[in-house]
Amino acid sequence: MTTGRPNPLIGFLTARLHLDRAGLLRTAIVLTLSAMAAFAVHPLGEVASALVFVLGITVAGALSGLASALIAALAAFLIYNFYLTEPALTFRIATGGDLAPLVVFNLCALVSGVLAGQLKDHALAARSSNLQLNSLLALSQELQSAARPSDVVVTVERAVHRILGARATLFQADEDGLRCLSPLPCEARWHDFANGIAHAPQVSGDSPLIGRRLELANAPVTVLVLEPLRPGKIKPAFIDAVANMVALTLERAALSEQITERRAVARAEKLKSALLASVSHDFRTPLTAISASASSLIAYGEKLDAETSARLLRGVVDECERLNRYTANLLEMSRMEAGGIAQPLQILGAAEMAGAALHRIRPRAGGRQVTLHAPDPDLPVAANPALFELVLLNILDNAILYSDEGARVEIAISAEDGACRIDIADSGQGIPEHALQRVFERFYRAGRPDTTGRGSGLGLAIAKGFVEALGGTIHATIPGLDGRGTRITIRLPLAEAMQA
Amino acid sequence: MTNILLVDDEPALIAVLEPVLGAEGYSVAVASGGVPALRMAEDIRPDVVLLDLGLPDIDGKDVIRALRATSEVPIIVISARHQEGEKIAALDHGADDYVNKPFEIGELMARIRAAIRRSSSLKNTPTTYRSGPLEIDFQARRVSLAGDVVKLSPKEYDLLRTLALSAGQVVTHKRLLAVGWGSDTADSQYLRVYIGLLRQKIEEDPSDPRLLATEPGVGYRLASAS
Repeated sequence: MTTGRPNPLIGFLTARLHLDRAGLLRTAIVLTLSAMAAFAVHPLGEVASALVFVLGITVAGALSGLASALIAALAAFLIYNFYLTEPALTFRIATGGDLAPLVVFNLCALVSGVLAGQLKDHALAARSSNLQLNSLLALSQELQSAARPSDVVVTVERAVHRILGARATLFQADEDGLRCLSPLPCEARWHDFANGIAHAPQVSGDSPLIGRRLELANAPVTVLVLEPLRPGKIKPAFIDAVANMVALTLERAALSEQITERRAVARAEKLKSALLASVSHDFRTPLTAISASASSLIAYGEKLDAETSARLLRGVVDECERLNRYTANLLEMSRMEAGGIAQPLQILGAAEMAGAALHRIRPRAGGRQVTLHAPDPDLPVAANPALFELVLLNILDNAILYSDEGARVEIAISAEDGACRIDIADSGQGIPEHALQRVFERFYRAGRPDTTGRGSGLGLAIAKGFVEALGGTIHATIPGLDGRGTRITIRLPLAEAMQA
Repeated sequence: MTNILLVDDEPALIAVLEPVLGAEGYSVAVASGGVPALRMAEDIRPDVVLLDLGLPDIDGKDVIRALRATSEVPIIVISARHQEGEKIAALDHGADDYVNKPFEIGELMARIRAAIRRSSSLKNTPTTYRSGPLEIDFQARRVSLAGDVVKLSPKEYDLLRTLALSAGQVVTHKRLLAVGWGSDTADSQYLRVYIGLLRQKIEEDPSDPRLLATEPGVGYRLASAS
């Protein structure tokens, strides 16, 4: 920031010639001591006294900076000239021979004072900029933690207060003008000040408040306002650095939010197209069977024998059931994707649920032998009944889809360490070992290219979502029964255990 | 008796088609995959193959290619609407026709009848085609509508003849372009224009064609001979 600094030399001097009370005192003490020493060594000659003064000026410069050195040099010259050069007690110089040492003395004093003073000033400046850098670093670290735009304001307020000792907040323009972003109410004078900054960034005035308009791409006008708790401690350039940092933080948070949003959109898009593909693939086959059966009954009804007609009608009902389950699966998948789980939960008997699922799947089991083994018929679990049944049907349906006529399917329910364990095992085709984890992924069909699989690729994904939402686990292992096939093991917390 | 080889792995669909085709007087053999289908095609020498494109073992197009290597048996592809590209590729590989899932049984039966008629006409090329008011005399290159002669350009006639020789079956854009323009990569825009001209001449209401049907994205189909 270059406000009000037309001449660099004046600026340099104003900056360098600042001397506080303590510096003045130090200079006076050093000067007094060197004057006493100079008088003490005067009998040894004027040169000795002069050197003592040079030493004093250098010390003054080293202790209190350039201004102190210059003051000390001037004072030493006067004292030396008045008391120590002939004729004493006058400022007059007796001979030309007296003039030369005086001039040399003054030059030496001035140069060494300036050098020492500059050294001191540089050291001070280095220390101060080091402190500023440390503050900026601490601020930057703290601002890093603000991941979302909504966090940035609070983080800025907290960090600026803690590290810079100032109150701060942000204002941003919307349709109604500047709005205070702080979660706490903003004072009217802050608001007015922010408005001033927004319209004329150079305005400073005599307000204790400091403001900067932030340079943001693709964002409405944003203003940072600060009020140092101790006035006059913070330099404009430092405020600029802080403002830049806050602007960067805001931009970073906005970008990161954009990326998160894009990712969420992309993920939703992907799921949506996968669901659509699933609809177009999985609904087609049952629909084809239904359409072919019904149109056959219409067109060839009288040519078909009673048994065939009944089988076609049975097929229509079965395929409607299948469509119904696909629809339920799609709905559940969308619901799980939205982060919910079907409510309400009820206390259900696991064995009873398995029995009901068995009853529904049996007409579709063909020549497969499906059995239920539940020694303890009363293991209670808390779940949504419709979803629980859907999950059991999905697993049973897989067992039937991927096994041949004559295969065995067995459901076993038992208590195990305070959990209800449900095993559904079959003697069907089984799952390749490398796919045992992946079968629970959406749209994954073990060992089949995606377009020809018979299942929707949703059943086990929904089972996993359901089980995990209830705090349970689900695993697939091989073999299932008779040394082949698949075993799906579900563990759900027992309802009493949940209440305990 | 006409033998049909049904290649499908969907138990639900087999359960419908097997008895219904049987009731229509066809003898049906079922193969649940491409590999058994090729073996059975050797054994039973089917008159028509119904081939579902989504097979568990090998690509349906490979089944068509393998079948075509040894026989001219009509192949009707059963495909889902979303398998548009698959379907056209299957036709290009030598399939004769297709039905989209879900279909009505009448549609499938019509395709089977057209396929059988066409395959028998391959042995002795028909000399005439007649469907409703439309009549074609292939030897005299004469086309008439309800007895009145219709004047067609040579290109229009070639297209109509190709469609009529496969009456009841789909003829792909590619094949029609090859017939009309000598290159199956010609712009199908030309084809649309000529089909429009043909419809002007043979259809009662060209905007609601009864004889010359569009198979969206695939080709055209001329009504079966009556």
